Amino acid sequence: MAEHAAPAWKRWLEESGDQVLFLKGFFRNMFRGGFEWSEFVRQCYEIGYKSFALVAITAFIMGLVLALQLRPTLVSFGAESTLPRTLVISIVREIGPVITAVICAGKIGSGIGAELGSMKVTEQIDAMDVSGANPMQYLVVTRVLATTCMIPLLAVMGHVISLIGGYVAINIQASVNWLLYYNKCVGALTFSDLLPAFIKTIFFGFAIGFIGCYKGYNSNRGTESVGLSANSAVVAASLWIFVIDAIVVQVSSLLLY
Amino acid sequence: MKTAKHTALEEKPALKKSEAVIHIKGLKKAFGENLVLKNINLEVRKGENVVVLGRSGSGKSVTIQCIVGKINQDEGELTVFGEDVASLNERELKELRTRIGFLFQGAALYDSMTVRENMEFPLTRVLKIKDQEEIGRRIEDVLTSVGLIDAIDKWPSDLSGGMRKRAGLARTLIVQPEIMLYDEPTTGLDPATSREISQLILDMQKKYKTTSLIITHDMECARITADRVVVMHEGEYIAEGTFDELKNSKNDLVCSFF
Repeated sequence: MAEHAAPAWKRWLEESGDQVLFLKGFFRNMFRGGFEWSEFVRQCYEIGYKSFALVAITAFIMGLVLALQLRPTLVSFGAESTLPRTLVISIVREIGPVITAVICAGKIGSGIGAELGSMKVTEQIDAMDVSGANPMQYLVVTRVLATTCMIPLLAVMGHVISLIGGYVAINIQASVNWLLYYNKCVGALTFSDLLPAFIKTIFFGFAIGFIGCYKGYNSNRGTESVGLSANSAVVAASLWIFVIDAIVVQVSSLLLY
Repeated sequence: MKTAKHTALEEKPALKKSEAVIHIKGLKKAFGENLVLKNINLEVRKGENVVVLGRSGSGKSVTIQCIVGKINQDEGELTVFGEDVASLNERELKELRTRIGFLFQGAALYDSMTVRENMEFPLTRVLKIKDQEEIGRRIEDVLTSVGLIDAIDKWPSDLSGGMRKRAGLARTLIVQPEIMLYDEPTTGLDPATSREISQLILDMQKKYKTTSLIITHDMECARITADRVVVMHEGEYIAEGTFDELKNSKNDLVCSFF
């Protein structure tokens, strides 16, 4: 048993080492001159704008369903009036950032993994490298920074749309004034709710971009590896989202509450 | 039996390192247990077209990957323009690579960019040219040279195999490298297109005065382009000479290519 486990651990350690070196390469190239602004803006558009519809629909349904699920329980406790407050805290602090990030890991992480994997397989990355250009700066730095900037924005927009979904759900079974609902939601939020939630979406964005780029950039030769890169990018990014979530929640609990 | 290699070596004394733009001596490279390059010795003079012939898996591509510093050799000496490639740092290697053009087997066009953007990429990223007029002039000049000016705004996916090779060649030549490395430039093309590409390689070599190292197993390509042919077998160079010399060689391994 141990004989079989050793190579797996070795591979895992080797990959971890590779990821650290890739991270080092990312930061070194990020602070090197000649930042690819036009590619960064293009990636922000591809990642942010083109993911908005998916995030919006998911967020709306999430808010709607959450409100529908919460209502009977709160009514049974006679706490129906706390529904907006419960809803907004759940969405902003936990469900919104995590669901947005997981959706984006599926869409963006797999897209980056497949795109760079395909470029690797067809020797496009090698062609950039041997021509004297800098593929890390052009392909990796721009994509990782674009996800790091766009995921928090998508998450914030997702929160707002989720709350609209919640408002629609409440009004299916009752009649609540929008201004009252809005005031109850906003009044329930504090700085300590918003800041850790926003900070963790930055880390989520970084993880999605970084893992997608790492998996794609280090694809093996062959078309099968493109699919594997996309798949492993989604799996690893999703896992990291939950790990980061646990860490940030724990740290923010110690610091803010 | 007197091999073609022996004939060539007797006729041409070894060059001094400074006279050869590429100098390889005793090059060895292994991947795990698999010894891919056993003992490679090669010198390429300025302005020369050298063709390396060899079967698939004989180590041809590994040799040119060593030349551009993608792979470091285990043993031996490899200098390009007098610089020891394995000892160069990242910045020095990038500078060296700007003087070397590398045409990949599949042309490796950037498929998210049009032909024009493919041409712009090395100009703006490698040569750091900002003048749009000069960029436009250079792109038009090189695409006219390879006969692809009409495809300037096409996407790589809209190009045929031969056109992709032409576009790949144009993108490599646009930075005017001093050395061109071709990795199987005619693989996957029909005989007529293959001849066209081989002739184009020769024409471009004359126009841009580059030194060329062409890796191939296409005899027609070798016949058209080669000033000198080197035959590689199982990680070693076994024969060297002009195309006609090797064609008349009595070495069975050499004859098997012709």
